Amino acid sequence: MQISEIKNEGLSREYSVTISAADIDKRIDGRLQEVGSTIKIPGFRPGKVPMAILRQRFSKSVMGEVLEAAVNESSQEVLRQNELRPAMQPKIEIDSFDEGKDLIYKMGVECMPEIKEMDFGKIELTRLKAKVDDKEIEEAVERIAKDFRKSEPIAKARKMKSGDVAVIDFKGSVDGVEFPGGAGEGHHLELGSNSFIPGFEEQLVGAKAGDDLDVKVTFPAEYHSEDLAGKDAVFAVSVKETREYVDQEINDEFAKSLGLEDLDQLKGQVRERMENDYNQVSRTRLKRELLDALHEGHEFDVPAGMVEQEFEQIWKQFEQARDAGQLDESETSKGEDELKAEYREIAERRVALGLLLSELGTKNNIQVTQDDLNRAMVQEAQKYPGQEAQVFEFYQKNPEALANLQAPIFEEKVVDFLLEMAKISDTEVSVEELMKDPDEEDAPAPKAKKTKAKKAASKKAAAKKTAAKKAD
Amino acid sequence: MSWKFLNKKPLSNERKYQVILAPVITEKATMGSEHNQVTFKVAADATKPEIKAAVEGLFDVKVEGVNTLNTKGKVKRFRGRLGQRSGYKKAVVRLAEGQSIDVTTGL
Repeated sequence: MQISEIKNEGLSREYSVTISAADIDKRIDGRLQEVGSTIKIPGFRPGKVPMAILRQRFSKSVMGEVLEAAVNESSQEVLRQNELRPAMQPKIEIDSFDEGKDLIYKMGVECMPEIKEMDFGKIELTRLKAKVDDKEIEEAVERIAKDFRKSEPIAKARKMKSGDVAVIDFKGSVDGVEFPGGAGEGHHLELGSNSFIPGFEEQLVGAKAGDDLDVKVTFPAEYHSEDLAGKDAVFAVSVKETREYVDQEINDEFAKSLGLEDLDQLKGQVRERMENDYNQVSRTRLKRELLDALHEGHEFDVPAGMVEQEFEQIWKQFEQARDAGQLDESETSKGEDELKAEYREIAERRVALGLLLSELGTKNNIQVTQDDLNRAMVQEAQKYPGQEAQVFEFYQKNPEALANLQAPIFEEKVVDFLLEMAKISDTEVSVEELMKDPDEEDAPAPKAKKTKAKKAASKKAAAKKTAAKKAD
Repeated sequence: MSWKFLNKKPLSNERKYQVILAPVITEKATMGSEHNQVTFKVAADATKPEIKAAVEGLFDVKVEGVNTLNTKGKVKRFRGRLGQRSGYKKAVVRLAEGQSIDVTTGL
């Protein structure tokens, strides 16, 4: 086997490899012998078929197999001899081959870049902390209370206004003929809730309990029932009772009705939930800051092939979104070239960070344990209440799906690891500040948002890819 | 002696192809290749001199000797009825020293 280097530029290498015909013949003979011991040919007992006949009958089909094995083996050999760490599957192009002649092929490899780790202790991050103030909790509790408010009969008979609830019997007819589904008894209708046909509720405003009235409405042209759409209808409505909403008083009683001990506990729970939310946002921000710092702190070439792959993926997503008509204004206003350049940049960043994270992970011996996986699996299962067993089964049967779970965990762990080393200073900020998109200050907002969203989603993808590569 | 053996006329090309039917490729036949022997299926009415002439003519070799044998068809039972498989004649042809026929390539 002869190997010669044709190209050595940055991260990409190209080699020309020659495997001699004799070598290939030897391989073919070896393979034929293996085949011959099991194959059945009429006139011969299994394993007793002479080589000449085997060669004549099977050399063609064995050839492909042997060539593949030879190419694989020799390309591995090339990588080993030159101490390369391929970032992707090497590209192999067969130059020339004929039976009895030497096999010559070209092999293109993209190496993993040498990553020099920066001093992580130098990374300075600010963790944004938003305090949950009592006012917000009050508001949240009030919102909950509103969701649970009750309606009570209006004590003093008065005309109804918007926001009241009418308990009505109604019977609808079109051209004097009743239509199916057009009648109801004891229906609670909140006036102004727009749950009925437009115009219906308005005509009830001003009615009193015990009133009988005819409501004349026209079904909207795009009504879901074709028979009724656009038709004029008359509803004979009798108002049985009028009710109004009573504000739920926020006290221990209310908390008890929600299954809690007292109001303090309710507030405590609300606070906890909000704090959790804020912590999550703050962590995302922190992580983003960390990644930015990492991106800036490391300078290395990114394998072009990987960037290309990532870019293709983004572009495909983009095209799908475009076909579905879900594009932002900022995207439609730009030319295709501009967008491509933009996405390419994103792809580069993703790949770089993905490589970096996986590299750091392996160097520092960060591993995803079975426990972590199990926890993630349980979390995943909780998303499908009632089908937990199926979810578990799915993951047990599909190792690839499990690998998908693994990637984000791995990423999180690496991030945790780095955060431990980095200098983190806490800053108290208001909630609005926490929720604000950091890019909004310096870049046009929609673009930044998009990038961020995509980045978050796909860094995982990149990490996944590299992680998967490592696995095999 | 039948008329066949008295017929001294050279074998016609057509007859040569009629005599040699197929090579026999089996374990036993390949054993013969060590002794310069090649085995053919031949027409049931072919004679040794005919086979010799045919092999020499078609494969361009020198034949030292021909041994023949008749393989009888087996009696097989199918749905309770007896049946007879057809048999064939085999010829083991010994070639002169250093000569060979590649039976696998065909004619």
